[in-house]
This record gives sequence, C-alpha cells and structure tokens, in this order.
Amino acid sequence: MSLAKRLPAKPTPLYPLMRFLGIAFLYIIGFLILLVATFAVFGVAPNKALFALQQGALGGGPISPAYAISETLVRATPLLLTGLSIVVAWQTGMFSIGGDGQLLMGALTATVLAQLQHVVNPNLLIFLMLVCGTLVGALWGAIAGWLRVKRNVQEVISTIMLNYIALYLVGAAVVGPLQESSHSNPESNLLPDKLLFAHILPPSWSGGITTRLHSGVLLAFLAVPIVWLYLYRTLQGFQLRIVGQNPEAARAAGISVNQTRVRAMAISGALCGLAGVIQLLGTSERLSANFSPGWGYTAIPVALVGGLHPIGTLLSALFFGALEAGSVNAEQTLQVPASLIAIVQAAAVLAIIGVNAWRQRYPTELKD
Amino acid sequence: MSIVAGVLLGTLAETTPLLYTALGETVAQRSGVINVGLEGILLTSAFTASLATYHIGNPYIGVGIGLLTGIVFALLFGFFALVLHADQVVTGVVFNLFALGITGTLYRFLFALHDKSLITAQLPLLHHTVTILTPLSLPAVVFVWWWLYSTRSGLELRACGEQPLAADAAGISVRKTRAVALIFDGAMAGIAGAFLSVADSNTFVPNMSAGKGFIALAIVTAGRWNPIGCLVASLLFGFTNSLQFQAQTLGFDTLYRHMAATLHLTVFLHRLNLDHFPYQLFLALPYVVTMLILFGSSRSTRAPAALGRPYRKE
Amino acid sequence: MNSARDTAGSTTPLAAPSSTTSSVQMQQIVKRYGATIALNGVDFDLQAGEIHALLGENGAGKSTLMHILSGMTQPDSGTIRINNATVNIASPREARRLGIAMVHQHFTLVPAFTVQENLALDADVPLHALRYRTTEAAKPALDQAAALGWQLDPYARVEDLPVGIQQRIEIAKALATNAQWLIFDEPTAVLIGEEIEELFRVLRTLRDSGKGVVFITHKLPEVMALADRVTVLRRGQKIATAPIHEVNPTLLAQWMVGEAPKTQPLSESRQVLRPLPTTPAFRAENLTVLGDKGESILQNISFEVYPGEIFGIGGVDGNGQTELAETIVGLRTPKSGRLLWYEGEFRPGQHPRIGYIPQDRRRHGLALTMTVEENLLFEAVKEAKYRFGPFLRRAALHELAETLIREFDIRTPSAKLPASALSGGNQQKIVVARALHHRAEWIVAVNPVRGLDINATQFVHTQLLNAKQRGASIVLISTDLDELAALADRTVILSNHQMHPIDLIQRDATQIGLLLGGASTKETP
Repeated sequence: MSLAKRLPAKPTPLYPLMRFLGIAFLYIIGFLILLVATFAVFGVAPNKALFALQQGALGGGPISPAYAISETLVRATPLLLTGLSIVVAWQTGMFSIGGDGQLLMGALTATVLAQLQHVVNPNLLIFLMLVCGTLVGALWGAIAGWLRVKRNVQEVISTIMLNYIALYLVGAAVVGPLQESSHSNPESNLLPDKLLFAHILPPSWSGGITTRLHSGVLLAFLAVPIVWLYLYRTLQGFQLRIVGQNPEAARAAGISVNQTRVRAMAISGALCGLAGVIQLLGTSERLSANFSPGWGYTAIPVALVGGLHPIGTLLSALFFGALEAGSVNAEQTLQVPASLIAIVQAAAVLAIIGVNAWRQRYPTELKD
Repeated sequence: MSIVAGVLLGTLAETTPLLYTALGETVAQRSGVINVGLEGILLTSAFTASLATYHIGNPYIGVGIGLLTGIVFALLFGFFALVLHADQVVTGVVFNLFALGITGTLYRFLFALHDKSLITAQLPLLHHTVTILTPLSLPAVVFVWWWLYSTRSGLELRACGEQPLAADAAGISVRKTRAVALIFDGAMAGIAGAFLSVADSNTFVPNMSAGKGFIALAIVTAGRWNPIGCLVASLLFGFTNSLQFQAQTLGFDTLYRHMAATLHLTVFLHRLNLDHFPYQLFLALPYVVTMLILFGSSRSTRAPAALGRPYRKE
Repeated sequence: MNSARDTAGSTTPLAAPSSTTSSVQMQQIVKRYGATIALNGVDFDLQAGEIHALLGENGAGKSTLMHILSGMTQPDSGTIRINNATVNIASPREARRLGIAMVHQHFTLVPAFTVQENLALDADVPLHALRYRTTEAAKPALDQAAALGWQLDPYARVEDLPVGIQQRIEIAKALATNAQWLIFDEPTAVLIGEEIEELFRVLRTLRDSGKGVVFITHKLPEVMALADRVTVLRRGQKIATAPIHEVNPTLLAQWMVGEAPKTQPLSESRQVLRPLPTTPAFRAENLTVLGDKGESILQNISFEVYPGEIFGIGGVDGNGQTELAETIVGLRTPKSGRLLWYEGEFRPGQHPRIGYIPQDRRRHGLALTMTVEENLLFEAVKEAKYRFGPFLRRAALHELAETLIREFDIRTPSAKLPASALSGGNQQKIVVARALHHRAEWIVAVNPVRGLDINATQFVHTQLLNAKQRGASIVLISTDLDELAALADRTVILSNHQMHPIDLIQRDATQIGLLLGGASTKETP
C-alpha cells in the first residue's frame, strides 16, 4: 500500500488553519533551499544573490527601505488583484486563467476613456475609468462563464482564447487609433498627470528618490477584505462556495448553479479589469503592446500558495512582490536573470501541489 | 513565388506543429488525461532540439532530442497527474510557467549573456520551405486513427478515458495505460517543438511557441477527439495564421485582391481602402474562429467521460 | 414454505459442506477500512452445483467479502482455498484464472462503447496482439449469451440499452471466462417482473450445470425462492449458515437484523387519522416526466397530496422515483402538465417552503468538504431573518446549527468538522435536519433511511411523523414497502410509467406482486 494511504485524515476543527501555516512554512523553507541550489547550479554566489534579493525587497545597502518596500508593494498590487480573481473563480470550481485578457480589456477601456481628458473633469474621469474598466473586465470574464454554462466549453480553453483576442485588440489599438503622436512605437501617449494616481510617499522618506507607491495600491489592498467579506459573510458568497464544492448538492438546495458560475466569472473578471486600470494609472502610465508581463498566469501560483483564500493571497502576493523587487535588484547588480527566480517559484509551487495532492485523502466508504 | 503559393506553404508550416501536438493530446485526452502543459513542452523541446543541433551539428539528432525532451516532460507531468492525483489543469499551467522560466534562463545564461545567438543547422528542405516533418504528419494521423480504433491497446486506452472503473475491472492498469498515452503526447509535442526551432527556422527565440500549445488544446476539442478532426482543425488554424502573415507583409488589400482573383470571386470590397487595417486583428482571427468553433460544436461534442478526473484504485 | 421455488429437474445434492468435493473456502477473513472493521473473521464456503445466498443488511459486509473473493481487494488476514489448495487472489485477472467471476451491482460497462467493444474489453487479449479484431474477441461472450437464449445486438451502444439488457452483457462477460464460481451482487435490484424470473432461470441453469453460484441479496423472498443454502452476515460477522429447508423468513430476518423488525408501533400513529381536509395542498395534473435521455418516465399522471398527510410512492428502483421527486420539488421541468399549490401555481422556494431529502446524499445532499454547520445551513441562509442586507447573521446561524445538531442528534465532536468526517447515518441526519427544521410545508423524502441503522431509521421516521402532525404535506418515496406501510396514509406504486394506488394494510399479495412485477416484500410473519 502506498505511503499516502497510511496517513489517516485528521478532522480537527483547526485543521485547515494548521495546514495552511504548515504549508506556508514548508513553502518558504523549501523555496529558499531550492533558490540557493539553483543559484549554485548557475554559478551565482548564493549569499550575494540572497542579499541582493533582500535589499531589493526590503531595503539595505544603497537602497532605502522605503524605496524597497514601495517597490514590493507596487509589484504585489497586480498580483494581488489577479490572485483574488483566481480565488473567486476557483472557489466556484471554474478554472479561469483569463486574468491577462480581462486586465488588458480594463486598461484598454481606461485608455479609450482617457481620450476624453480635455472635456471631462479629471477626477470624474478617473472614477469613470475605474468603473468602466472594471465592468469591461467583468464582461470579459462573463463571456467565458456563459460559454461554460451554455455550451459546456472548458474555461481553460475559452479564457486562453479571450486572452489572445484581448492581446491583439490592444495590439491593434496601440498601432492604430490610440497610437502615440510620433507613430513610431506600439504604445499610447503618456496619460497626463492629472489622470494618474498620486505618489503617496514623500521623497524625503526614501533619500530623495520618489517612490512608485501610488494611491491605487491602497485601492487594491481594500479589495482583500471586500472579497473576504463577500466569500465568507454573504449569502451569495456562501452559495458560490457550495457550487464550487458540490454543484449537484447546490442544485438540490435550490441554488442556480449556472447563474452562480457566470456571476463568479464576472466578479473574477471585474477584479482583473480593475487591476488593469490601477496598473495603467499607477505604474505603467500608458497602454502598450506588451502591457502585461503575464500577471494573469503568475496569479495562479500566487493564489495556490495563498491557499485559495483572500488573506492567504494577500500574504502570497506580498511575497511574490518582494521576490520580484528583489530579483530586479539582483539582475541589476549581479546579472541574475529574473527567469531564474521564476524557475524556483514554479518548482516550489509544483512541490506544494504535490504535497497537497499527496495528503489529500477521501475517507473510504464502507462497502456492503 | 505567387501569393497563393506563399499562403499554401505558410499553411503547411503553421499546420505541422499544431497537428503533431494535437494528435498527441488527442491520445492523451482519450485516455482521460488533460495535459495543459503542451506549451511548456513545445518551448522546452524547441530549446533542447536547437541546443543539441548547435553542439552536435546534426538537425536529425536535434529532432530526436526534442522528442526525448517531450517524453521526459510528459513523464514528470504524469507523476503529478497519475501518482499524486493532483489536479491536472493546475499542474499543467504551473509546468508551463516552469518551462518558460527554465528556457528563458538557460538561453540567457548560455547565449544572450555572451552575446551569442542560437543559430543552427536546419533540416534539409524538400521543396521550398517544406521539411520531411510536414509530410510525415499525415502517416501520423493514420497511425493515431489505427491505434485508437483498430488495436487492442486503443480499445483499452479509450476505456480508460470513458469509464476507468470498467477498465480496472477488466484487469487493465489505468495508470500504465494513461502513462503510455502521455508518453506519446510528450513525444509528439516534442517533435512539434523541434520543428519550430530546427525545421521551420534555424534558431531558438525565447517564447517562440507563442501559444501554439494552447491552440492545440482547442483543436483537440474542436476536432472532437478524433485524429481526422484534428487534421481539419489544424489546417484551418494553419491557414488563417498563414493568411495573416502574408497580410502583414503585403497589406490586406493586396492580398485580398490576389486571393479573390485566383478564386474568381468578385471583389466587392475593393472600394474600401484596407491597407491600413491593423494586422493584429488578423492575429486575433484564428482565436475568434476557434471560439466560434467551440461555440458551435460543443453541443454535440462528447468529451471522454472521465477526462481530467484522477482515477484512484481502491 | 414459498411454493414459487422450483425444484423440478434439479439435482441438488445438498450434502453438508465437505472439504473434499470441489469447493471454495474462505476462512477467518478480516478486512478493515481505516478504523472500521468491515469483516471480522468471517468464514464462507461455496460448493459446486449450489446456489448459496449471502444475506445481510446494508453495511453487513456482503459485498466486501465477495470483492475479496473476486480479487478486487485484499483481505487483511485469513485464507482462501479452492479445491483444498490455498490461493492468493491478488487481482481480478488472477480470480479469473482461478475460475471466479463476479457480476457487479454497479455495472462495469463503458457506456459509450458498443456491446461488442465492452465484451472485447473484458476478454483476455494481450496488448501487443497484432491481429486484433473486436468481433473475434467478443465472440466467446456472445456465444455464451446465445446459449442462454439471449440475442444481443453487438453494435448497440450500451448507454442506449435498458438496464436489464446491460445486465445480460455483464453476465455474458462473466460466463465467457469459463468460470466455475460465479458471484452475483444484488442482481435483482435493477430488474422488473419477468426479468427477475428470467434471471432466476439462468441462475438455476448455471447451478444445474455444476457451477457454484453466490447470490448477494437483502431480500428474503428471493432467498427462499432460489437458494440451496444461505449465509447471513450482520455488521461484519457471520451469524449463521444453513440449508434452506431449515430456515424461514422470520428466522432469517432475525439473523439479519438481530431482533424482530418493528413494523407495528409506527403505524399506530397512523391509526389516529383525522378526517383529511377537503382541499388538497398539492396537485399534479396530467404530468408527463421525461428522463435525462428524453425517455418517457411517467405518462400523464395526476395525483393530490393533502396537508397533514404522508403520501407514499413505492415501486422498484428505476421506475422514475428520482425524476418524479425532482419534478415535484421544482428541480426538473416536466414535459407537460401542471403543478398546483392550493389554488395557485406551485412555485418552489417561494410558495411553499420545501424540504427535500434527495436519494443520494453524497452527490445531491451534502458538500462533504464543507463543515457540518455549513451543510446544515444551506436552506436557512435564504431566509430573510438570517440576513442583514447581503450579509449573513453568523451568530444566529451558528445557534441554529447547534440547535439542529441537538434536536436531530447528529453525532459530531464539533460543528466545524468537515461533513466527510461523519458516519453515513449522521450525514443523512444532516440532510434530514436541513429539510425538516424550517417548518416546511411540502416535504419530499426519497429513500430517507437507506443505509441507516435501526435507531437512525426510527429517528427519521419520527421526524417525518412530527412534520405530518403539524400539518405538512409529505411525499415519501421508498423502495421499502414496509416503510410505506408503517408511515404512509395512502400509497401508490410506480410501474409502467403510471401510478397505481394500492392498499398496503389489507395486502393482497397477488395484486402487489403483479404491480411490482415480482419484486420483493418482506413477508409478514
């Protein structure tokens, strides 16, 4: 008999929490070990690399902590929102990987609206951009939801397709009607300052350099308790989770499984649409052909490491953001490529998947 | 070369990797396993095939290495899917990320950092841009058809995908059967990846698979888990992809007029000036076509009943 | 003694089990699943040329024992001897080689495959066989079927075939292996009328040709009609083995259950019949219900249920019980017909409050990964009083859950455990509690006590009666006629797409038998 079968399932009330903490701990330790090993394999001095990572993420050496932490937070923001989007979808049992597409559509919508900058009050316009970007993202997600519900198309496939369609819509826009004035680059004009999120950290805190920490980051963090409240404290959220755990039982309890699924995909899309607008107005400041470096896909490990829970995803996004900030510094100072960190991230997530699956046991039902 | 010939050759070049990958995935899905990591296999195999050819100089060996890479990758995936019973979709997606990271890093360390490019020998060309891998894909279609529907092994494989309990009761090892299917899946995707870097071109570029692995997934569904359907759907994709490449270079208006003239159609769109039509919308076209295919065909499509569900032996 | 037993022409030797004749002997078989002991040192033997019934209730261990014999699972300890030689049955293939074949209760057929492909799948053909033809591989099994007088269409898809025919395919599969020892697991569960007689004929033919047949069941009349010997299991223990002429249904029932089944006390409450109100609460008019494949389940039926009444619906499994239940709780749209609640339209969820106890609690009742508390609250959360705008009033809901756990005696160390940690009986109690607590006016219960022990069964029945006392309209759908007799005020039987009223008190055995088509009832002592 395999080892997995000899472990009894332990149904104590604190089990989920303990499991999460255990996994988080294992992940960090395992991650560090893997990281060091990978550094060694590629001929990078592990202690120098780790130090560079730490500097980039939290400060130290020539980098002021305020700057480093700002970077961490800024980089964590899109991951947080896309991660939350995955959480909402997956808790309903819908494996959406459409984050990138929904994000792009949000940013595209905002850029289109930005063309009205001369006729509309800036604050109102920002508000409109946020709302419309979110709604368009929701629409993009709802399309996949509808296809699943009405045509039984696996979300994995439909969301991938929608991603590419969005990608090329943006691509067409930034070499067409939205292209910047000199018509030489596949990107839009820089959005005017009045439409951008303010940088909220005074430069004096970070040794004279203006950090990139913008007010949109706060908005993103606000999403965490909202999503948590929705999932665990409202009727819709409860029913959403039932649909994810057992759609048949949900149906028997009078829940419209189809409606719930489409709604979940819409919410999921909305979160990513919002992410797109926040990125546009806070960091990127313009729409370009390669607007997203794949946040929608990185969101998957983020959500997994976060245990598919909103609070866990927050912590996980912060971790991933820190890692990104750190790896940028490592790349600049030691030429350690970011893709190397990506390998370790992916490998570590695989380890989580493996461990999770290994410990997953369904109690065997008594045969007659 | 005439434009039509250009489109046709382009179609062959686009279709070949899609077809190989889709054929492999059809077998895997028929056995009940969904391998979303195709993109990762394509990329990794493209890299290893190119790297091997770079060092050894023989592109045939490069293809072989690509094939082996696909198999290794698939076995690793199989460990997660068949032994650990992990969720297949999640695992596949993370595998893709892993592959992206590792090929990017290795390329960086071995080439970009040293300002070298990965340019290699190419498979000998049979006719214009066509290499041997393209015509070989047709016997592959026949082979998969024969395997699935005329052999004992194919019967057992399809049983595993429809009702693994019945297969188990008949004494068939569901795990072994699915593993074999995955090995084939990996091998085919490995060949497709090698095609990209060693047949269709002579270089490796980071992320050169550009989503072909995902299109292959859609092709399998659109082709109704049937090798002939895969052939048809792959051709469709190859064709639209090829069209947009031509449109990119020539401008849509020119292309349209030539195609229409060849096909003796009236050119009623001639009045519209389409030269400035952004080619990106053509890049989107195959995906829109896929969506429409999925939209239309999913009603009568029957996926293998046990697809994606791990089978736990009692 | 039941005169339906056919002894004409049989040459049953019925000697006491001897270890020198051709036989299968299982000795001291122990099997554990986690902390539960499924089989606790069970002995069982099978002789050539006999039909040996293996009798017991749900959870007795019958299927487990036979799964061990057929190689699907391994015992933790104990020995198995065939013709005096110790064997190790490591897999179904190994069992087949030893001459053992099993016809399962849940068919191991591939629905999407044709008859031929299914038969070929089971044939012992090496993987690398170059010259492989499905038709050839399927031939032995098809020949066996023909020898029994059946005509199977090789090209028909199994999922299109009725259940009775599917069973024939399973039987043909088993016979094609030239098995000497055949095991049938609850074979009549899915059959109706003549199909059951046909099956009995086949089993007798097999016995007469010298095979040893094991026949797992929980239905007493079948044992009396068919078996040469019977072994009774209860909760993993062997209670007794005896030749059929030494037992009678009462004795068997006592062995099975451990005490005389109580069918009287509950029915007393039924004697206190108030005159039924004149207006029915629920009316179905000209209802036609289709199954999932568009097949006709019920044609043009009409019935009424009054408040304060338990309306019983009986019949053999597979006659539309599930589909009808789903229709009258609003989960399935009928092809035609009307559903009315009092004078207005029947709008489930709004008007009336519904309590639904579905047939399959694991699939339709519970989300096993969610906590006991959450499962209890599926329905309650929809009520306005437990909500504050879009938010849930958690404290109030938690209190409700605790109340339900107390009232319905749900045994769990904590409300926050996942529902999967509870035993089957307690899981069912969750489903029942959920359906009954909120003063539902319309209650539909499908086999609510299936898989429950005596105490849990009595508990659930009491709850239903309580609901009836306070005026709810209850539909009780059950395959157990005794349950219906004890609880229902009026009963109908579902068969042949129709509803047939029946009087279970003055039971006319012939009439019931005709209606059910030969399915079992527990004989009154």
